[in-house]
Amino acid sequence: MVRAFVLLAPGGPAPCRVLYARTFGTPPGAGPGGPRQRLRRKEQLLVVARQVASQCQLLQASLGRPSSPQLPQLPDEPVSLQDAPGGVFQMSPGDPFPERVTVVWLSVLALAFALVCEPQENLSLAEITLRRLAPRLLLSLRLLGPGADVLLRPDAADGLLDRLLPHGQMLFLNERFLQAMDRELGLKVSR
Amino acid sequence: MSPCNDLVLSCDEIQDTKLLSLVSSVLLAQGSRGEVAAVGQRVVQGLERRLPEGQSARFLLPVLANVISLSPGSLTEEQTNVVSKKLADWLRYASIQQGMAQPSGGFFSSPRTKQPAPITEVDGAVATDFFTVLSVAQHYTQDQWLNVQAFSMLRNWLLCYGGKELDTLNPGASAGGDSSGTPLVPVPATPGRLLPPRERLRDKAFAYCQRLVEQSTRRPLKKEDGDLQKACLIEAVTIMDIICKQDSSYVCRAVSCLKILHSRICGDATYARALLPIAQLFLNHSKQAAVDSDAIYKHLFSDIPALLFHNPSLAFEFVQFCKDNSQLFTDSSSIFRQSFPNLFKFLAWNSPALISEFVDLLPFLLDPGTATEIFHLLLDLPCLTAALDIQLRAAALPVSEKAGADPAGKPATCLEAFHHPLYRSMFQYLLRSRAAPEDAPDSLVPLRQLLGSLAGSPRVVQCAETVPVLLELFFRVVAEFADGSLINQLVVLLLQRSDQLYDIPAFKEDVYRVLGSNLAMLCGLRPALVVELSTEILEFSGAVSNIQSKEAIFTHMAWAVGEFLSVSHDKRCTVEQITRFFETLEAVLFEITQLRPQASTPSCAPRAISVLMATLTKLAARSQDLIPRVSMFLSKMRTFVQSPAVTSVYCEEDLEEILIRATELMNLLKMPSVAQFVFTPPVASTRFQKEVNDSLPLALRMVTQLLEPAAGSMPV
Repeated sequence: MVRAFVLLAPGGPAPCRVLYARTFGTPPGAGPGGPRQRLRRKEQLLVVARQVASQCQLLQASLGRPSSPQLPQLPDEPVSLQDAPGGVFQMSPGDPFPERVTVVWLSVLALAFALVCEPQENLSLAEITLRRLAPRLLLSLRLLGPGADVLLRPDAADGLLDRLLPHGQMLFLNERFLQAMDRELGLKVSR
Repeated sequence: MSPCNDLVLSCDEIQDTKLLSLVSSVLLAQGSRGEVAAVGQRVVQGLERRLPEGQSARFLLPVLANVISLSPGSLTEEQTNVVSKKLADWLRYASIQQGMAQPSGGFFSSPRTKQPAPITEVDGAVATDFFTVLSVAQHYTQDQWLNVQAFSMLRNWLLCYGGKELDTLNPGASAGGDSSGTPLVPVPATPGRLLPPRERLRDKAFAYCQRLVEQSTRRPLKKEDGDLQKACLIEAVTIMDIICKQDSSYVCRAVSCLKILHSRICGDATYARALLPIAQLFLNHSKQAAVDSDAIYKHLFSDIPALLFHNPSLAFEFVQFCKDNSQLFTDSSSIFRQSFPNLFKFLAWNSPALISEFVDLLPFLLDPGTATEIFHLLLDLPCLTAALDIQLRAAALPVSEKAGADPAGKPATCLEAFHHPLYRSMFQYLLRSRAAPEDAPDSLVPLRQLLGSLAGSPRVVQCAETVPVLLELFFRVVAEFADGSLINQLVVLLLQRSDQLYDIPAFKEDVYRVLGSNLAMLCGLRPALVVELSTEILEFSGAVSNIQSKEAIFTHMAWAVGEFLSVSHDKRCTVEQITRFFETLEAVLFEITQLRPQASTPSCAPRAISVLMATLTKLAARSQDLIPRVSMFLSKMRTFVQSPAVTSVYCEEDLEEILIRATELMNLLKMPSVAQFVFTPPVASTRFQKEVNDSLPLALRMVTQLLEPAAGSMPV
């Protein structure tokens, strides 16, 4: 199961920002509920985001790419995920979640997407899920300028996650199933 | 939780499955066990009964999956039986014909009903067996969606509730985790008699996985389906492994199916990630099936890392596999342990992502047989990164260019050098797949120099940054098991290698720092080595250039000599030896404390001067004829410290510190017997005695106060 999904702006020189995050259920008995729990969850996701940002920057450096990628010239130009850098890393128990988690991430333009998964999760499927989430989420964001000034539509993001990652469950969808799902959602994803 | 009762959400009254799913996500976020259980009950209720028209169970399954992952004890055995039965049906009996398109209502919608077409495989062939996630259709029916959902949650369900005992207190631990040794008596499915729900689900799940294994090697029409095929394959093998753990009667079938699969995919690099769960299944069960799986492990550890080190996901999963099976590495002759050079290729290429994994893995790779080879490997890790880079680039060259190198001349670029006879064996050694301590070439120095042109590459620099961490860990682990001869060997190698490091300045600084402090640690573990390795140590300490270029190592070496070169640590320590060390170090100190430093005089850290003075004093305390020489030397320090040429090189506080130290040492030598006691305490085997040694500066100060009760502040 996926514990959380995070959409972040890695920054570069600027500090990284969490633009949108969604957790899928809270393990019971995790401590006092309410605002403290929510704050703790926010902090935990921020730690994940910072780690993703630093991994992303290090990978970009080792691939020899500039840290601030260029936006596509036309706003409707399909974003190519072919060479999108991505990776996997693990976070130990206690730092920041009580149990071990594996984070799978993908970087597109000036943004990064991350799935926080349970330890023995199918990482191939997680990567596929991210590669499907990314273009569909980008469709619902308006890129206002270079960098990560995006206009989020959280309802659209929520709706998308409810279909592609319902309750944190990753789905084994082949291309035809995905098309059927896009039809249901009313999305026109270029293929 | 909520401010007033009207705002309390409950899932009890909700009939609409989509709404139930949405409400559940709020309820499950509360972190309350009671809420989770309530949601679980409601969802199972929804699945049990026939749903109202238009509602689909499709939205309920993910909720259930989340419930069991958050709180596995939420369902009763009866409920899990109900769900297991449904899952088995959805997996096995989904419709094998394509769904109908929703009527579009356009001009051209015709009233005639078309025959539903059969589902196809990903390669376009018509499907001849039951529906799975790899079945293709234009439109899908509800039960086909349920098939997808059921498979997607199958692994977690089996882990939670598939085992032989349902322990509602702690189901995660017992279910499927411990039944590998005791085979279940399989309940044969006689015709007309259904298996119990759990066993039936296992049966259908296994058949599903076998079908997926067959489907996953077809050539897909759409390229993206290829990625899903691999993910399905990995999931199918993992589920088979779980089923085998829960019911060992499946082992034979699984093993024979996967042996065939392995032979089909082992040559295809795109299927490499699937080799890991296959190997895991064989590791878990091949003994029971009496099957020889060594070829599988050999291929996995010898070939895959060398070919695919640059694939970050494979690298991560491979290292995870090693960590999960760390007991494999305890047998030093096994293929797993012998392949450690291959494993380090993953780290060399993907350093930032894998460093913390390797910190966990390294202790399992270290033993007396591998320690020295791993020491060299760690110091050469950035070279390995550079060599891998060249290997990749050389492989990408067209064939015509590969043969272009002129064997007689010197290679102009690293790329040319890769095939050049001068360098080829060095490259081969660095890029070896197996441990080979005897095959080490005499020196990799030419290769390191050649690779110097890549020292600025970001990937190499990132790798270099991980080395000090691993070195520190290396010494900590080795200290626990090293015997005398290994410690001696390591010290000799340490001093040798300090000259032979890849030329990245920050890297060398950090490595010297780690090597220096660990040198002192090793000498502390085995003080006799100062006597046994006196030749090497004298050679190192006598080279004045070392004090400048490798200050950390030099300082710790000098300190160790002062600490441990005494009869109390090793009976073989003679007066001649003490004198020889004394003269060597005195010459160095003389060289660096000249009153008029010339351009060729090395400048060095004040700490080095202090340590040298202290060491000389300690040696003099043990061989008292040397005392006059030291005293005279120390008395000259005042002049040294005040000389104008020197004050321009060192800062004021440092010079004052040097002077204070020199004075204290001189005073101490005025009372030779006290000095002897202070500097040669009984061999410190207890912590208290070690603390006494560590507080030497304080002790010196106090003695000075006693001798010179003059103006000056009392020591704090």
